[in-house]
Amino acid sequence: MQLSRRRQLSAAALALLGGTTAHAQTDRSESSLPAQFDSGLLWYQENADRIRDLEAVVSVRQPLSEDSGWNGKLTIDTVCGGSPIGAIPSRSAQSFVTPTATSLNPPVAAATQTTTSASGGGGGGGLDNLSLCTNPVQNQKYTVAPGALPIDQSFHDQRFALSGGYDTAVGTRNHVSAGAAISHETDFFSLSLNGLLSRDFNDRNTTVAAGLNLESDTIAPVGGTPVPGSRYGDFRKTGDQSKRVEDLLLGVTQVLSRRWITQANVSLEHAGGYQTDPYKIVTEVDAQGFDAGGIYVYESRPQTRNRYALYWDNKYALDRDMVEASVRLTRDTWGVRSGTVEVRYRLNLGAAGYFEPHVRAYRQTAADFFRFYLPQGTVTPGYASADPRLGGFTGQTFGVKYGLPVGESGELSLRVERYTQRGTDRSSALPGLQGLDLYPGLQALIVQAGLRFTF
Amino acid sequence: MHRRLIAICALMATLVGGPAAANGTIGDSLDLEQFKGKVVLLDFWASWCAPCKASFPWMQHLQQQYPRTDFVVIAVNVDHDRRLAEQFLQAERADFSVVFDPQGRIAERFDVHSMPASFYIDRSGRVRFTHAGFRNAERDGAEREISRLVAEH
Amino acid sequence: MPSRETVLPVQRGRSARFAILALAAALLGGCALAGPHPWERDLMARPEMALDAAAVDGAIDDHIYFSKEGATGGRGISGGGCGCN
Repeated sequence: MQLSRRRQLSAAALALLGGTTAHAQTDRSESSLPAQFDSGLLWYQENADRIRDLEAVVSVRQPLSEDSGWNGKLTIDTVCGGSPIGAIPSRSAQSFVTPTATSLNPPVAAATQTTTSASGGGGGGGLDNLSLCTNPVQNQKYTVAPGALPIDQSFHDQRFALSGGYDTAVGTRNHVSAGAAISHETDFFSLSLNGLLSRDFNDRNTTVAAGLNLESDTIAPVGGTPVPGSRYGDFRKTGDQSKRVEDLLLGVTQVLSRRWITQANVSLEHAGGYQTDPYKIVTEVDAQGFDAGGIYVYESRPQTRNRYALYWDNKYALDRDMVEASVRLTRDTWGVRSGTVEVRYRLNLGAAGYFEPHVRAYRQTAADFFRFYLPQGTVTPGYASADPRLGGFTGQTFGVKYGLPVGESGELSLRVERYTQRGTDRSSALPGLQGLDLYPGLQALIVQAGLRFTF
Repeated sequence: MHRRLIAICALMATLVGGPAAANGTIGDSLDLEQFKGKVVLLDFWASWCAPCKASFPWMQHLQQQYPRTDFVVIAVNVDHDRRLAEQFLQAERADFSVVFDPQGRIAERFDVHSMPASFYIDRSGRVRFTHAGFRNAERDGAEREISRLVAEH
Repeated sequence: MPSRETVLPVQRGRSARFAILALAAALLGGCALAGPHPWERDLMARPEMALDAAAVDGAIDDHIYFSKEGATGGRGISGGGCGCN
């Protein structure tokens, strides 16, 4: 599955530029320039038989002088579990095959899934999923019970990503950084380069920055690339695909007072190339909403996508605690518009550590070509996708992080969060689709441990 | 440069109440008059400033290098909370004068634009060199500037 | 398939106006763009006040929400901190 792990310009810029200002505080005596180590271990688990993910991140920053340094980051990730294939629930049982199959009746014995719709997932599915991902299921047929959301359980992926960069001051008030990143997954390979320039004003109370990220991706879907819009079951597949992404980031950071710092960023992105999800299909239904017993087409998305984002972040230092609030607005040429609000409150308890509750509210409108289903007999559907990620939904995250200081300037932390997605549109007026939940959403548990220290 | 000259002249008078510090100890006021005839390294620092912490061993080393009749280090602390500065001083050797300026009045008079900020003042009371920040690579050059000023009579 | 208009001009203007007002409020709230004196950066120097204080958390969150939602990115540059050197 192409879950694009494109290095965000933002994340790269953070890794590259962050050390020169904020991290300059934690040093020892003499002329030592200590290196920083920061790591995280994530367990992500969705409800029922959906996705579970184990990810480890390790990052290091080594200063070379007070004004320069290099940094590196390694990410290893293993994901598996069930992923919705885009087909909607039906009144009757449905059969599908995994991506590597070349016929609708592969030789391997069928496995029946009785996956309930996500909203009724309950606890049973959750704890059963604690087992790590085993070998992926290949070339298999699976049946989905009536009323259930079709989910492909064979999804299994491993990601290995490495990035690194160098940053340095130029003169007394300028900084420049450059870096590269590489990422490899079973069906996806990405290479990117990034650069950032910044300049300080007003005794370093104001920083203005511009950054660029250039990325080149190769997509090699498991089982080949289905011809977009072609019929599911025809097995018309082609070879590898590619796409390129360019990002421009412009931002300003302003220390407004002794307590308040604010940052506003504008980012522009242009992506060109293959952006369809090769594993997702769209159900065809007749005028009454009844399916014809298993007619689906592969989804199809435009070859270009321009995205625009405006992000505004604020941190305010209270006498003991801290509060952070941010807003992000995005829109793109696929018609997806989103708004995100995030608030964190950090309750500092000195040597006993800190608690940091966190709330995130997200809202997204569906892409122009998002369709729950297509009219039967659609020969050239144009662009169409039933991928829930391009639908209209709201997302809510509630969590808390606890951190404990260790050693001189280290920290051990644990973060537990609950993420819920709810579709804004979940049903259809068509008779054939009555009583079916077209957009069950998802619930996920996020648990992350962290360790950071200087050495 | 001119701004700093004016500032230094304006500061020849005693600022802030409190007893004038004897050589090597702590005080609340800054009276540069009493240091005329000596070279002064006037440094502005704070407990929350990492390069300031890095500069202390160097300033300590400098103070040991010259007799106090020739050269003194005066470290002006700008912490809002004096206790943080005192905690810092317990951990770092500082055999030189420390002045507390929690309101930043002395910093303001000297038109401080960086942390740390240091001013090298010659025997006649004129600011001759200013340094913004502290960098290992600049230590040798800075030491040469001090010895040049000390050599002047 | 007929394509829908992208953001209506009125809606586009509205979100842009909001953004400008929000930014202006943030910038004007602190008495022009000057900001505090260099010796008043004590609270900014607190590690949690760095804009990229939780970089690993941020990278992990970005990855999760990128995989599950249709929008991406936004976070960016640094600045702030103790302002030293």
